Amino acid sequence: MTNFTRRETMRLMSAGLIAGAGLSMLPRKAFSAGKITVLNWQGYGTDEAWAVKAFTEKTGIEVVHDYFSSEPEMLTKLRTNPGAYDVVLINSARTQQAAVEGLIAPIDFSTVPNAAGLSPELKEHPNLMSDGKAYGTAWVWGITSLAITEGSAKPDSYTALADPAHKGRLALFDDAVTNIAIGALLSGQDINNPTDLAAVTEKLKGFKENVKLLWSSEDQWNKAFAAKEFDLSIYWSGAAVRSKRNAKLPVEFVVPKEGGIGWLDNLTIPTSSSNPEGGLAFINYMIDPEFYVEWAIKVGAPASANGAAMEKLPAEDLNRLVHKPEYLKTMSFQSALPDDRREAFNNVWQEVKAFYAE
Amino acid sequence: MPSDLTTNTAVRGPSGPRTGWTPPQWVATTALLMPTYAWLTLAVLLPLLTMFCFSFLSATPMGKAPIVFTLKQYRAFIDQPYLLNIGWTSLVIGFWTTLLCAVFGFLAAVALSRATFGRMRETLLILILLPFWTNGLVRVFSWTMVLRENGFLDNLLHLVAPDAGSISFLYTRYAVVLGLVHGYLPYMILTCYIALITIDDAIIEAAVSLGARWWTVLFKILVPMAAPGLISGCVLIFVPVIGSFMEPRILGGKVGVTMGTVIEDQFTQAFNWPLGAALSFTLLAVVLAIFATFSGVLKRGAAA
Amino acid sequence: MTYLGRAYLFAMLFFLYTPIVVMMAMGFNESSLYEMPFSFSTKWYEALYQNTPLLTSGMNSIIIAIITAVIATSLGTMAAVALERRTFRGKSLLQLLLLPPIAIPWLITGTAMLVFFYWSGIGRGMHALLIGHVALAIPYVVLVVGTGFKTIRADLEEAAMSLGSTPVHAFFAVTLPLLYPSIIGAALFAFAVSLDQFVISYFLATPGYTTLPVQIYSAIRKGFTPEINAISTLLLLGSMGAILIFARFAKPGDVSDKR
Repeated sequence: MTNFTRRETMRLMSAGLIAGAGLSMLPRKAFSAGKITVLNWQGYGTDEAWAVKAFTEKTGIEVVHDYFSSEPEMLTKLRTNPGAYDVVLINSARTQQAAVEGLIAPIDFSTVPNAAGLSPELKEHPNLMSDGKAYGTAWVWGITSLAITEGSAKPDSYTALADPAHKGRLALFDDAVTNIAIGALLSGQDINNPTDLAAVTEKLKGFKENVKLLWSSEDQWNKAFAAKEFDLSIYWSGAAVRSKRNAKLPVEFVVPKEGGIGWLDNLTIPTSSSNPEGGLAFINYMIDPEFYVEWAIKVGAPASANGAAMEKLPAEDLNRLVHKPEYLKTMSFQSALPDDRREAFNNVWQEVKAFYAE
Repeated sequence: MPSDLTTNTAVRGPSGPRTGWTPPQWVATTALLMPTYAWLTLAVLLPLLTMFCFSFLSATPMGKAPIVFTLKQYRAFIDQPYLLNIGWTSLVIGFWTTLLCAVFGFLAAVALSRATFGRMRETLLILILLPFWTNGLVRVFSWTMVLRENGFLDNLLHLVAPDAGSISFLYTRYAVVLGLVHGYLPYMILTCYIALITIDDAIIEAAVSLGARWWTVLFKILVPMAAPGLISGCVLIFVPVIGSFMEPRILGGKVGVTMGTVIEDQFTQAFNWPLGAALSFTLLAVVLAIFATFSGVLKRGAAA
Repeated sequence: MTYLGRAYLFAMLFFLYTPIVVMMAMGFNESSLYEMPFSFSTKWYEALYQNTPLLTSGMNSIIIAIITAVIATSLGTMAAVALERRTFRGKSLLQLLLLPPIAIPWLITGTAMLVFFYWSGIGRGMHALLIGHVALAIPYVVLVVGTGFKTIRADLEEAAMSLGSTPVHAFFAVTLPLLYPSIIGAALFAFAVSLDQFVISYFLATPGYTTLPVQIYSAIRKGFTPEINAISTLLLLGSMGAILIFARFAKPGDVSDKR
């Protein structure tokens, strides 16, 4: 039986090689000049119907969307669909990886007039730079930190996550990199390169009795919070604004003394794009203060990388209150991780999750 | 493998005399099998074979990371011993789900084939299969609304006993098993039903008239005759349940960590396809080993 | 005994329909977060009426599911005939090969397909989607129809042949009608597998073309609203209606009852 399987496997393998060689390299249809395809998370600004309509009216360029549901998936789609995309949203922690691989092209800011308004520390953020060129346009940024039920005691430190007062009332974000960062902040290490992973593991394991659930989407967070399943959690700043304003949930976003975990999303142009001009025009529109203000007020958005856009928000706007500009100077941003470190992070988080489940 | 498990296959023998020209056996057999296996090979087996090759690499072969041949992914259970616990949990969840589906599904099939007729039977069968046509994710989310504190279940209880506490069991392994049983039960009902409707009423009537009690009828006639259905049902349930990740993640909360979720994380977070693939193929091997053992036991049982 | 059996069946239906009823009810609940207490509203149905992408994706899903069910059921039934009624070398291996598509989580199969289809030039699009859906549905069909085969008597077919019928004729006149319930059941499963399949669609559809499960799956991140409950409810009621009408005119029950 085993012999047979092996023989059959070999046969299959050679059949596969022949099929693969025969079928490969069929020509791919390019998109027409008046059309761009955007690859992004669903419901993340670029696909707002009113915005797409306004952009098309202004420029005559039609916008089509494709979505990803995880960053690795985004990279895979980029690699396996050359020519399919013209604008791709990339978390800046992955930008250098994509640039080094030759997936995305440097941005020529001279054709993006609105780029002049970008906050300098974001426009040339080290995350975006590769051999002296910016490979993405800083678009929006946000903070990952604590969210509590309005009116409950404000935690001043991440140690609250392990505080027995919150037994069975804590929701963590099911993401390895974020949790390692929290463990690193708690043990006084660099969030992007904690050298003592054992200490991080220890800190994370300390939350066990408090953890009720691990959320993986804003939707899940909202529904569980609305059902009062937890009152302390790790959450995103922009999402907290949306939850409070659109869903009317009694949530308050708190950045404790250790500081928040910053992230920066940027819009990039793939090297294989068949319509880079159209893509740049779209990026220009995306960092336009006018678009941002409408997006932030109508829907709720993270903080714009365009300082002018933030200035245009009403002074008491929640989004403006949560995303204080001084955070930009002090907060550590998630940055590129070498593969082996990322793997180590994932193993730690996997181990911690297994420990929670015991 | 599934048919090897069978203890009472219908009589298969050389065909009797026939008239007219017939093509040689192998031509017809190949013609019957060719479309299915060509399709499967191209669409699933070759892609999976590619994945299988990936599982021997040190990193995902997309991108610039240098890759070398390695067996380290298959050592994961040794290097990361907590995976053993997770694997065991998955098997236990798979076992309970399959067992509960087998019991409830078999009884439902018996009831369908013995207690209903004609149009009523058809309607009931369709009603049983229809929930299957709604999206799995939507169904699982609906369960969270039933099971959570102050959800539908609690509300129902409080209608009867206003002072009773909460009986919510969302975010426990029970909730995971419940969601899985709900998702996979129709498979078992259908496969058992297909097997049971072929039973001749006369056999059961004869047994009853000879004084057989209901349990004799159940265990001596119905169960053995439904065996092919039970076995297919178990295959169709146990196999996918082991790798499921949606139900554990959403219904299990912090205890919802299974091989399925670990594998999913390797693909969606870690971008470690080799490890994810190695874990899935290990899982597949374990499943096959379980079925092989099981079929051996059954065959010996039949021979004895 | 009959009443006990029926009572049990109704208990099973109650269990199977609990989340379905909740799903339907929540489509009429005002809160976008499915909050209680319940307050009746038809606003999600109104919103759905405006939501062309969601409606189109629902339509696409049904079309793909029907095509998948037809192809997978025909091919799978043919394979089941060979696997159950013929003897040849390597049969166990062929049966074994049905398991990986079921056992390997769809996410991995989907990723594998994405990569392989890219390398082999099959690419993405409706054709790729169908190739994937059919392939995933086939094992279910073969197993379900195979179960049907194991339980019907081969001697009837042989009797027909000994009375002068050709094997092909005997198959169509005797075996196929007996297999009718399992084939219908298999088709219903193939339909369900395709309707529920998001990973493959997600990876293999061209940008701009979506199916309902894809919409649902990508909506998880930003929040899925009761519009999804509304469209799921409509789909379910629609298919229920279609099947009941179909069952009225075609009468598979007559065949199965006579056995």
